[in-house]
Amino acid sequence: MPSAPKPLPIDLLPLKPVELLVLTMLSGEPRHGYGIRQDILAHTNGAIELEAGNLYRTIRRLETDGLLDESSPRASATDSDDERRRYYELTPLGKRVLAAELERLRALVRLGEARRIIQPLPT
Amino acid sequence: MTRRDRVRGERIYRILLRAYPRAFRERYARDMLDFYRARITDARPGVAGVARVWSQLLPDMFATAMAERLAWLHGNTDRATAIHRHYGTRREHPMSILEQDVRYAIRGMLRQPAFALIVLGTLALGIGANGAIFTIVNGVLLRPLPYANAGRIVDFAHKDPYSQVSEAEFVDYKKGLPALSRLAAYSRPTLTMTIGDESQVVEVARVSLDFFPALDVAPAIGRGFAPEEFSPTARGVVVLISHALWQQQFAGDVQVVGRTLLADGVSATIVGVMPQGFDFPNENTAFWFPWRLDVARLQTRNNHYLRMVGLLAPGASLAQLRAQANALDARWMQDFPDIYGRERLVAVIEPLREHLFGRTRPYLVALLGAAVFVLLIACVNVANLLLVRGDARRKELAIRTALGASAGRVVRQMLTESLVYAALGAIGGSLLAIAAGRLLVRFAPSDVPRLHDVGVDGRVVAFMLITTVMTALVFGLVPALRGIKGDSAETLRDGGRTSGAGASHLARRSLVMVEVALAVVLLSGAGVLMRSLIRLRAVDLGFAPEHIQTLEVTLPPRMYTDTTARMFFDELLLRVRQLPDVSSAALDGSLPISGDDSAWSIMIDGHVLKTIGESPSARPAQITSGYFKTMGISLRRGREFTEADGVGAPFVAVINERMANMLWPGVNPVGHTLKMFSATAPWVTIVGVAADVRARGIQNDIPPIMYFPYAQAGTSAYYQPKRMTLVMRTKAAGDGALVDAVRGLIRRTGPRVAVSQVATMDDVVGQSIASRRFTTGLVAAFAILALMLAAIGIYGVIAYGVSQRRYEIGVRVALGASPGSVIRLVLVDAGRTTLTGLAIGLCGAALMNQLLRSLLVQTSSTDAVTLASVALSIVVVAAAACLIPTRRAMMVSPTEALRAG
Repeated sequence: MPSAPKPLPIDLLPLKPVELLVLTMLSGEPRHGYGIRQDILAHTNGAIELEAGNLYRTIRRLETDGLLDESSPRASATDSDDERRRYYELTPLGKRVLAAELERLRALVRLGEARRIIQPLPT
Repeated sequence: MTRRDRVRGERIYRILLRAYPRAFRERYARDMLDFYRARITDARPGVAGVARVWSQLLPDMFATAMAERLAWLHGNTDRATAIHRHYGTRREHPMSILEQDVRYAIRGMLRQPAFALIVLGTLALGIGANGAIFTIVNGVLLRPLPYANAGRIVDFAHKDPYSQVSEAEFVDYKKGLPALSRLAAYSRPTLTMTIGDESQVVEVARVSLDFFPALDVAPAIGRGFAPEEFSPTARGVVVLISHALWQQQFAGDVQVVGRTLLADGVSATIVGVMPQGFDFPNENTAFWFPWRLDVARLQTRNNHYLRMVGLLAPGASLAQLRAQANALDARWMQDFPDIYGRERLVAVIEPLREHLFGRTRPYLVALLGAAVFVLLIACVNVANLLLVRGDARRKELAIRTALGASAGRVVRQMLTESLVYAALGAIGGSLLAIAAGRLLVRFAPSDVPRLHDVGVDGRVVAFMLITTVMTALVFGLVPALRGIKGDSAETLRDGGRTSGAGASHLARRSLVMVEVALAVVLLSGAGVLMRSLIRLRAVDLGFAPEHIQTLEVTLPPRMYTDTTARMFFDELLLRVRQLPDVSSAALDGSLPISGDDSAWSIMIDGHVLKTIGESPSARPAQITSGYFKTMGISLRRGREFTEADGVGAPFVAVINERMANMLWPGVNPVGHTLKMFSATAPWVTIVGVAADVRARGIQNDIPPIMYFPYAQAGTSAYYQPKRMTLVMRTKAAGDGALVDAVRGLIRRTGPRVAVSQVATMDDVVGQSIASRRFTTGLVAAFAILALMLAAIGIYGVIAYGVSQRRYEIGVRVALGASPGSVIRLVLVDAGRTTLTGLAIGLCGAALMNQLLRSLLVQTSSTDAVTLASVALSIVVVAAAACLIPTRRAMMVSPTEALRAG
C-alpha cells in the first residue's frame, strides 16, 4: 500500500456534532465508552443520550482517522474484575484537530456576537 | 461486576450484536456489552427501566449496524482510504480497493504464469462447456415460442393404436369441449410443388379454419385465409407460403402476393407470406392451405389421419380439458363399438411446448448436467491448486494481517483474486463456448428442433455471468477462509515452514474426495448411456443396411395413371439394374426404420367380419420383385415376389414373422388368405413369410407387416403409391456418381419426376439414433475430461503430501524403513482418499442415474458392469496419478532431506 501523506488537522474539519462532543469529553482524561456517555449526559444536562451503537461507530471513525486511541490500561481501574474496560484518549493529532475545530467555532461565535445574535459574555 | 452476573436481556443483546460487521464486532462487541450492562445497572429497576433502555437502544442499533455494514462494503473503513478521502486523492471510491486487489491478483498471476495458465485453462474448459451447452438448451428449450398465447396452446392426439384423429372425431371434439376456445385440425401431406419449370417434393400443411387463430399468428405479407375459403363450395386454391420458400423461390419479392404455384399439378394462388420463424407444424412446411371440410361428407370414423392443435379457453385448465376429452372418448367407445372394438380410445393432450420439445429435453438436460459436473470438478481442482498455493502464501498473509490488514480485507482480496481468475477464465470460456456451440450446432442431429437459430442472447450472457460469479465463489471461498485461519504470529515464528499442514491437507483431501465422487457419478452416467447405445447398435435390424443407396421418387399424381406409373417404375428398375455398380435394385413404398406408422384393418381366411373393430390390422408395404434380396431380408418360408406377380396374375402377399405368429400361431401361413376390410377388395393368398424388420425404428417394437407386389397393390391393397423409394444394393460403398447416374436415368425415363431423400441405408439407421449417439458421445467426452481433472487433482494432493513429508520420509529411511513401507506410506493416503470418493460417487451415481432412466435401453440405471468398470478405471487412474509422487518419495535421500529440514 502506498504510504499516505500525513493529514493536516484542517483536512478533517468540520467535525460532526457527536464527534466534537466525544473528542471534547476525552480532552480531560482517558474515559471508557460508558463514561463518555455519562460525561455527555452531564454536560448537556441530559439532552443528549448517546447509545452504544452511535458511540462506538463514532469511536471507530475517530480511531480510523487517528484522532483517538486506546490508552494504556489504568492501574486505578475501579472494577476488580478481569474484563479490562477499554479507555480512550486523544492522540496528538486528535488534540490538534479538536483545537482547530474549536477555533473554527470560536470564529463563528465571534461573528454571531458581532452581529448581535448572541450577547457577548463579559470578559 | 463479574462476568457471571448476567443482566437482563444480555443474551439477546449479544445475539443482536451480530448485526454489525465482523471486524467491528471483533473490536467493540465486548465494550458494547459492557456499556449495555452499565446502562441496565444504572436504569430504573424493574421491567419498565429495561424497556426504556431497549426502546432507545434498538433504533440506534439498527441504524448504526446498517451504516457500518455499508461502510465496510464500500471499503471506507480502511485507515489509508480514510486519509485519502480527506486528501481528496479520489481513492475513496470502492472501486479503488477493487482496483488494487485486481492489480495485485494480476501481478500474482504474472509471477507464476504456469500456475495461472493451468487454473485459467481448467476454468475456461468448465465455463466454456457449460456456455456451449447452455446456448443450445436456451435456443431449443428455453426461448419462448413465437405465439402470443403459447402457454395455452395444446397439442391434441390419441394414444396408439389410433394415435391420430379422424374427421368425425374432430367435428365431435369441436362441439364437445368447452375447455377449449379453439380447436383446429391439420394434416401434413407431401406433394410435388412446381414453380416455373422446377419441381420438388415438399411437406405442406392442410389446416382447418381455427388453425391460425388458435396460434394467433398473422402473415408478415399479404392476408390470412378468409372464412369463406374454408367452405366446401369455395373455388380456387389459396396458399400462405413460408418465409423460407419466399426467400428461396421468390427471392423475397414483396410482389409475391397474387402469383401462383402448382401443387400436385393444381394451380394455387399465393395470398400471403408467413413470418420468419413460424414453423408449425413442421420446420420444413413449404406452405399452408385451407382444408375444406364438408361436414356432410365425412370420411369413416375409423380413418385416423389428422392432428389437432387447440387453444385453452381463458380460465380453463389442462386437467379440465383432459377430463372432458376422456368423457367424450368413453362415450364414443360405447356409441361406436364397431369402430373401437378392441382398443381403447384415449386422448393425449399436452402443452404445445411439451409436444415440440419433450423428446429432446431429456437429452439436453443430461448434457447440461454433465457440463455442470465438469464445471464443479474444475472448480474443485482450482480450489485445490489455490489451497496449495495458499499454503505457500501463508507467510505473506500473516505479514499482511500483522501489519493491520483486517480479516475481512484479506478475504476480500482473495475472493477478488478468485473473481479475476474466474473472469479471465470466463473470457476464455466464452470464446470456447462460441466455437464449441457452432460445432455442436453443425454436428447435432437434425431432428433437434429450432437448432438453426440457436445463438447468444441476453439469457446466455446472464447465465455466463452467474456461472462465473458462482464459480469464483465455489473455488475461491475455501482457500480464502483457510487463508485467514490460524495464528499469524505462530506462522511468522516458525517461518512458514510447517504451514499447519495437517488441517490444510485435510481440506485438500476432502476436495479431492469430492472430485473423485463427482467424476464417478459422471463416468457412470456416461457408462450406462454408452451401454444403452451399444445395446441398440447390437439390435438385429432384420436387414443388411451396408452398401444400400436409397432415394425417393415421386411422380406428379395427375400426370400418371396407375398403368403409366407402373410402366415408368418398370422401365426405371430395368435401367437401374443395368448400371455397373448396382448388384440389385427394387422399390419400396415405405422404408424400414424411418417408415410411417399406418396400419390397415384386414380379414383373414375367408371369414367376413361385420365390424372393423374386431378386425386385426397390419402395416402395408408395396414392393417390387427383388426387394428382399436387395435389402438382405431373409425369407423364412415360401417364396418372394417375381415379375410374374403382376396385373392379372393371382393376388399374392408376403407377411412377416410377427404377423404370422400373431394371426396363424403354430401354423404355416403359406396358402392362407387375407383381404382388406373392404367389400370390393379381393382375397389375397400368402406365398411367403419374411424375417422381421425393425420397421418403426430400432427402439420400437416390430409391427405385423404385409407386403404386396406393387403392380397388384392398386387392386389388392387399396391403391398404388405414386411415391416409391428406390433401393439399390451397390457393389462398393456408395458415392455421388451413382446417385447422379440414377438422377439422369429418372430424368430420361419420365418428365417432372421429383427426387428426394437421397440417403444410404446406413444413414437412415444412424439418423434414427443420432440424438442418442450425439448425447452419449458428448457425455462420454465430458466424463473423460472429468476423469483427467480428477487425476490431476489426485496427483496434486499426493505430490504435495510427499513434498511436505520429505523430512519425515527422510527420517524413516534413515532409521531403516524399507522401500515397501515408504510406498505404503504414500499409497495409503492416496488410497483412502480415492476409495472414500469412489464410495460416495457410487452412491451418488445410483441416485443420479435414476434421472437418466428415460434415456436407457435395456440397461439398469445401476448397471453392475458399468459401475464396476467405472470403479476400476478410477482406481487405475488414481494409481497412475500416484506413480510420480511415489517415485519421488522413494528417491528421498535421508541426508539431504534432514539437512534441508
